[in-house]
Amino acid sequence: MISVALTVDGHAASATVEPRTTLADLLRDHIGATSVHLGCEQGACGACTVLVDGELARSCLLLAAQCDGRAVTTLAGIGAPGSMHPLQEALRDSHGFQCGFCTPGFVLTALALLRDNPAPTEAEVRAELSGNLCRCTGYQSIVEGVLVAAERMAAE
Amino acid sequence: MSRLVGSSVHRVEDERILTGRGQYVADVRVPGMLHAAFVRSPVPHARITSIDTSAARGVPGVVAVCTDDDLEVADMRLWGPPELLRPAFRPLTADKVRFVGDPIAIVVAESRAIAEDAAELVDVDYELLDAVANIDQALDASRSALFDEAGTNVLLQTSHVHGDPYAAFASAHDIVSLRFVQQRQGNVPMEGRGGVADYSPATGELVYHAAHQNPHQLRVSLAALLGHPAHQLTVRCGDIGGSFGQKAYPSREDVAVCAAAITIGRPVAWIEDRSENLLAAGQAREETIEVDAAVSADGDLLGLRVHMTLDQGAYQLTTLPSSIFPTIVRVLLPGPYRIEHLAFDTTVVATNKATYVAYRGPWEAETFVRERLLDVVATRLGLEPAEVRARNLLRADELPRRGVTGVTMEHLTARETFEQALDLVDLPAFRAAQAAARLDGRYLGLGMATFAEPAPGPPDYSRALGVGASPRSAQRAVARLEPDGTITVFTSQSPHGQGHQTTLAQLAADGLDVPIDQVRVVHGDTRLTPFNLVGTGGSRAATLASGAVVGVTAALRDRIVAVAADALEANLYDLEVADARVSVRGTPSAGITFAEVAARLAPDLDVAYDFAIPDGGWSQATHCCWVEIDVETGIVRIPRYLVVEDCGALINPAIVEGQIRGGVTQGIAGVLYEWAAYGDDAQPLATSFLDYLLPTAAEVPRIDIVHVESPPQGPIDFRGVGEGGAIGAPAALTNAIEDALAPFGVTITDQYLPPWKIVALVHGTSVMTRPA
Amino acid sequence: MKSAPFAYHAPASVDEALALLAAHGDEASVLAGGQSLLPLLAMRLARPAHLVDIHRLDELHRLEVDGEHVVVGAAVTQRRVERDARVAEVCPLLADAVPWIGHAAIRNRGTVGGSLCHADPAAELPVVCVASGATMTIAGTSGRRTVAAAEFFEMPFTTAVQPGELLVDVRIPVRRPGERWAFLEVARRHGDFPLVSVAVAGDAIALGGVAGRPVLVADVDAARDAVTAADDIHATHEYRRHLAGVLVERTLARAAAA
Repeated sequence: MISVALTVDGHAASATVEPRTTLADLLRDHIGATSVHLGCEQGACGACTVLVDGELARSCLLLAAQCDGRAVTTLAGIGAPGSMHPLQEALRDSHGFQCGFCTPGFVLTALALLRDNPAPTEAEVRAELSGNLCRCTGYQSIVEGVLVAAERMAAE
Repeated sequence: MSRLVGSSVHRVEDERILTGRGQYVADVRVPGMLHAAFVRSPVPHARITSIDTSAARGVPGVVAVCTDDDLEVADMRLWGPPELLRPAFRPLTADKVRFVGDPIAIVVAESRAIAEDAAELVDVDYELLDAVANIDQALDASRSALFDEAGTNVLLQTSHVHGDPYAAFASAHDIVSLRFVQQRQGNVPMEGRGGVADYSPATGELVYHAAHQNPHQLRVSLAALLGHPAHQLTVRCGDIGGSFGQKAYPSREDVAVCAAAITIGRPVAWIEDRSENLLAAGQAREETIEVDAAVSADGDLLGLRVHMTLDQGAYQLTTLPSSIFPTIVRVLLPGPYRIEHLAFDTTVVATNKATYVAYRGPWEAETFVRERLLDVVATRLGLEPAEVRARNLLRADELPRRGVTGVTMEHLTARETFEQALDLVDLPAFRAAQAAARLDGRYLGLGMATFAEPAPGPPDYSRALGVGASPRSAQRAVARLEPDGTITVFTSQSPHGQGHQTTLAQLAADGLDVPIDQVRVVHGDTRLTPFNLVGTGGSRAATLASGAVVGVTAALRDRIVAVAADALEANLYDLEVADARVSVRGTPSAGITFAEVAARLAPDLDVAYDFAIPDGGWSQATHCCWVEIDVETGIVRIPRYLVVEDCGALINPAIVEGQIRGGVTQGIAGVLYEWAAYGDDAQPLATSFLDYLLPTAAEVPRIDIVHVESPPQGPIDFRGVGEGGAIGAPAALTNAIEDALAPFGVTITDQYLPPWKIVALVHGTSVMTRPA
Repeated sequence: MKSAPFAYHAPASVDEALALLAAHGDEASVLAGGQSLLPLLAMRLARPAHLVDIHRLDELHRLEVDGEHVVVGAAVTQRRVERDARVAEVCPLLADAVPWIGHAAIRNRGTVGGSLCHADPAAELPVVCVASGATMTIAGTSGRRTVAAAEFFEMPFTTAVQPGELLVDVRIPVRRPGERWAFLEVARRHGDFPLVSVAVAGDAIALGGVAGRPVLVADVDAARDAVTAADDIHATHEYRRHLAGVLVERTLARAAAA
């Protein structure tokens, strides 16, 4: 068994887990961070994407053991009902999502995109989001939400 | 006077979803919950000669390993039509395995990881049998039958004749013969299937937390299949991560998980992983359709002779017989066109593959075949496809009309969507651009497709289908005035992305003149919601659930106003309702709040309303797809896509448009990316997202949508729209591809057109239809 | 899909890592970024009893230009290479190819060494290394050796690294003045493994996705003849042959225009 201590959404968390436990399973099963969703456990769909020390990572492709001492951010750490991040608000305005299962990975990926490229073109947004699969929307509403968020965040 | 209806108000569920506070079935936590994994067959067809679970049971952390012998369950068949062979089958198969992924045993352990460790140790001996991998092999009587009881892999053969096709063919100028092949595809929601069977031995109660489109149907079915009293069985659905028709039945796994929980006496959770989902959750669209079309010299479709063969995989669905799919295709094939003679033969075969399930617009083949056929006929006669469509589409002055398959078409605006689309497309300009591009070695194409879908359709549609449980049965809604004046609306709908929590709240909030946050829509819990065997599906929610909510809201409003009139000693007609308060017009101080009304009404706080629409409408659309094809690489780009649609009044335009775009995307994906392939040995080849490809934001085009506003067909003019996108897109896209490749003399009859196939078509070389 | 159980080790030095790898032989797998390994573990296609995590080995995080070569330590992430201005300046072929690899979230963790040792016949980095004549430094308990890229990749998912050995770095020659270069791939979706990829570096033309390992070819015709890949779910043999010729033509045109 391995002891892992890390920060999740700003809170200290720890657990003792089997070495084979992924970061995703650590977050979901041991820390209660169920906003991390498992869509494939292969790194292909992007639903499980989180930020590790501020960088995008597939939590299904990281071992908990690799994350000792790290700071992990999940969707629940970005904003709360009543105090959403401008990106979350823009995605609500654009009706970005439908079933919501892919949403956590998309929001975090878009957040990282806008941090690195505050004024992306539509083509750049689509390219950067191409690692996240959505089955409901056809992506247009998500892309529009991200572009609106970029404008609003630049205006702040 | 509506305030919210017709406007793209924020979805009430979004703040929760966008901040990561969704509650999906994998998030359900029940004290003492164990985790299940299935032992699944690695071979497509074999007799099971022995199963040894002793090593698996010995793994620390394993609580139980159950095979069919260990579970108290019935044969999985519930009902089906007499003409379809429906062999008996078990939740966990005991005698034979019939597809790769066939569940043989369920392992229940302290964690999913341990359950998977133990599942690997279950030792099954197989006596391999010859595999039945495709339609040809299923029709080959020398191959083993999947079910000894049936003795054959041909489960259905029917013939129907509508009109006088023989006369039509005798008078034809030309006969166009084509063989269309739709490849197997998967619904592939981003969330797989799953359930948590919370069984309490102390009380005997089973609460099944599920991700499911039809909670009441699931409950009733589980009660029957488990032999568990229905009053001790509840189904509860929270947030559902998409379904598209896959999570709509009592699955074998659902039954096994519940039976295991009852046997063990502890809660058991099963969360399907992606590999299981691609292997075993269900697939669709695998149909081969041979068509002979009798045409006049001017391009009239005089009559059709059709033979449709559907590959239903090994096992049937418990609550939806595979025979229904070709039936719907036959009944809808004439569509909004003047096709008056049709001979339609159906064959349904069993193969060693996953179960064929309904998938968003399960009858999509009728539009694919008909719209492709129209384009081919046009090309053969040297006409524009638009001309042939214009010639054959029913005109308004021909309606109402009873179609040749027995369905009355009234208030059909398919032709209007086509005409508007044609205006927007500017065909002459496109043809000029196309010709210029060809000189540059660039291949542009334009394809169109027009269709109508019953949403939910006229009364004779159900009769034409011949189903028992009418898809148009009455839908009930219940509205409750809460003690604090807020409103709860209970619906049988089970939203999984369609936003019913919002659209139904919009209707109720408008009906009672309250802010939307004063209304809560409750769904998914069979203890709370009105009974209905059909939950969400078949493009019904818009009309039936909306009608029920509008009706129940009006009934509740009447009751509130009556109480207010009494309390205020005023005349009903002098009262007005605003912001959860009833007051005398002109004397605002003379009023009573909803909360005060509730106090007077108690305990009669619930109102129920049954909505049964006598005459359901049609939704229709014309899809236009532009493509540019790199003929050297075979890569198809879609620079533009347009949908001109009429689905009546829109409760929430953004939600409607999201549904259309999602459906179009799946239709595009079915042409360019998705193939649930099996080899000639019935081994599945697309078992991960590396091989089963869904398009990404970089591949999917912007989809422009134009809404045709036609006169309302009654007070409840919200018609279903969830499936249309997926129905029209494959035809529009394949028409565009054939148009682009016209210089190469290509005729497209396959739906699946990956790059290698485009290149093979361009070079006129033989094309791999199945991987070896 | 949960992995089979394994023991996890995070050695602090190359010697310690080599000792672990020698002790456990083919029961051990090296864990670099995990972006290729973890999917295999999840599907139980790989079941090592021991994982040796190399992230604490400082030497393997080296990324520098030493005159003639860009030295990329095995544990350097693809993202670091992508963002390095110096690499872009001296080795534009490498800089141009890296963004084609998967998606940002994958490149943030995925390593150059990991990709090379995984040796997917369709991966981009092996093709770039073969085209540019890179050399790999492999360490074992008996010392270090270098292997040329063309010999490093043996078969699908098999390299010259033996059980008990560890890839330490890859040295990629810097672009010589006036040397032509280009990289192109054709994939079904943005970010996918390519169906066929082509890297041009000077006179060298390397193809990926057409055989069990990257192949060097002389011209368009040789490119078609080099295709040995059988039909699979993504492409037919005939298509890959055809595409190899088309892509080599297009890549050479691009290299000439650069």
